[in-house]
Amino acid sequence: MEMKLGMMIDLDKCIACQACTIACKAENNVAEGIQWNRVMAVMDPASKYPNVKVELYPRPCMHCERPPCLPVCPVSAIYKRADGIVMQDYDKCIGCRRCMAACPYGARGFNYEEPFKGKGYEGKPNYLNPDPAVAPRQANKVEKCTFCFQRVDQGKQPACIGACPSVARFFGDLEDPNSDVAKQIKRRKAEPLNPEKGTVPTVFYAPRG
Amino acid sequence: MSVAKTGPGSPGITLGSDFRSTYATLLILMAAGAYAIGARVLGGLNVTGLTSITPWGVWVVFYIFFVGLSAGAFLLSTLIYVFGMHRFEKIGKEALLVSLISMVVALCFILLDLGRMDRFIYALWFGNATSVLAWEVRFYMLYILLLAVELFYAMRPDLVRLRGEASLRGRLAAALTRNRDNLSPAALERDHRVMRVLGALGIPLAILGVHGGTGTLFAVVKAQPYWNSALFPVLFVVSALVSGTALLMVLHIFRCRRQGRKLDLDLLRGMGALLLGFLALDLMLEFYEYLIGAYRLEAAEWATLTSIFAGRYAWSFWLIQIGLGAIIPVIILARGSRNSAGNLFLAALLVLAGIMAVRFHIVLPPLALPQLPGLPWGHYGPTWVEWVSSLGLMAMGMLLYVAGTNFLPVDGTAEDERSGNNG
Repeated sequence: MEMKLGMMIDLDKCIACQACTIACKAENNVAEGIQWNRVMAVMDPASKYPNVKVELYPRPCMHCERPPCLPVCPVSAIYKRADGIVMQDYDKCIGCRRCMAACPYGARGFNYEEPFKGKGYEGKPNYLNPDPAVAPRQANKVEKCTFCFQRVDQGKQPACIGACPSVARFFGDLEDPNSDVAKQIKRRKAEPLNPEKGTVPTVFYAPRG
Repeated sequence: MSVAKTGPGSPGITLGSDFRSTYATLLILMAAGAYAIGARVLGGLNVTGLTSITPWGVWVVFYIFFVGLSAGAFLLSTLIYVFGMHRFEKIGKEALLVSLISMVVALCFILLDLGRMDRFIYALWFGNATSVLAWEVRFYMLYILLLAVELFYAMRPDLVRLRGEASLRGRLAAALTRNRDNLSPAALERDHRVMRVLGALGIPLAILGVHGGTGTLFAVVKAQPYWNSALFPVLFVVSALVSGTALLMVLHIFRCRRQGRKLDLDLLRGMGALLLGFLALDLMLEFYEYLIGAYRLEAAEWATLTSIFAGRYAWSFWLIQIGLGAIIPVIILARGSRNSAGNLFLAALLVLAGIMAVRFHIVLPPLALPQLPGLPWGHYGPTWVEWVSSLGLMAMGMLLYVAGTNFLPVDGTAEDERSGNNG
């Protein structure tokens, strides 16, 4: 059976501690100004001070089954792996930012600065993860969450999964009904974010109780 | 007037005499632009005000503005060479030249905007059949080639006549027509056939490929409901006709005034009537685009329209796009044959400003909105590098135009003066 990697984030368990964001940055050498994983705070506009209601959503790349970023790339720098991971070929990317305009989840970031170089980086260890698969990207290209493909290829889980102190994140093969993530999605009736965008995300959110 | 006797090749229209101050101004602007472009090449896109929320800025605005100018000027030339509207014959070659230069300027803008300028050739080397942009890049190349060839054939008889001249422009004409100096009726007829075919091929290329395609770049983005409408590419083509016609009027009047040449008011009033028609059609389509967009009640589009009509962009929308760019020109142009050249110049200049505002309001407002609630808003403000480089590139286009009209026989009104049939 074909593999389809996916994720579920249980909003009922998420405490917005940003551990996933930090783990992601460290694992993938994500430079300043970009967050591949981002915990978004959404204020309910109907709520009034001092009883403000804020909802929190961690947002990785949705690794859509129909990724809108992929067909618009003029140089075919975006491709989908057999396991469903949407990848960016940094050797091809020309930095036109078409894909950024096309992503309805704002999951794509642009490296405006040369990562880990320049002011403040003199004489310091440049970045944390020495794995060449996640060597810092060059400036002036688009990058985004890769479901930690370098870990997945070693049979590990993405860095954000293990970092979550409240075990709010699950990752695995959506096609395998016995996988952790598939069972959790079923049990918690998890849904993708903004399904009306038509991109068929493989990241699911379990509702807050 | 000394020009009247000699026409193209006259010593009266030489480099220094009428445009010395224009050249000086343009060269200063270009030098400043070159400095800014140097800063951009060294500093990458970090020198811009762009962010991950607002990834496109004024360079994209000017890119679509100049693509529109080019497509509009070209389509105007096809009215003459394909549809036989000889009333505008005199401006035909100038239209092709303006179209060619505008396209070169547009490509310079989009090159500046490319994160990795050094990889621009990848856009041709690698492809993606589903990518509008990949198609566009190829259409642009074909289009530039077609414009250059058509312009050459349009000028060929005049170039051959200029061969004998002992000036720089005579030598240029001789070099261009080295093996193509046949002026027999059969050869001229063949020229006309070539131009008709190129013009006819150019129409779908300019409409579907170049500017409709540029509109499609935006229209296919479902993530931005404000762009995501089938009317968008059509609107691009119509607004291209508006801005291309206006630009030709502005440039033509400016140049003839500078050269102290008599303006052909009939021609200009005819162009004014065309401009009014194009502008009316453009305003109607814009009205429908906004109306139906608003009634869709889609949150992101509603927020974008609100920022245009009553928010951050309200001043430029009501004052420049609608007031100065549409209402006043419509009032002036509706006066028809009572208009002086000065009035027509003013109307066309205002229309250009209006369409530039249209381009700003296409690119920037939707990109200020976060794509998901909870992401930050885009607070994009262009930096000096973006403004100065833009000015420099526009000055380069103007310089190419002034030099082109000096060195190449593109001026049809001068021919008339030579043969003495100027009414």
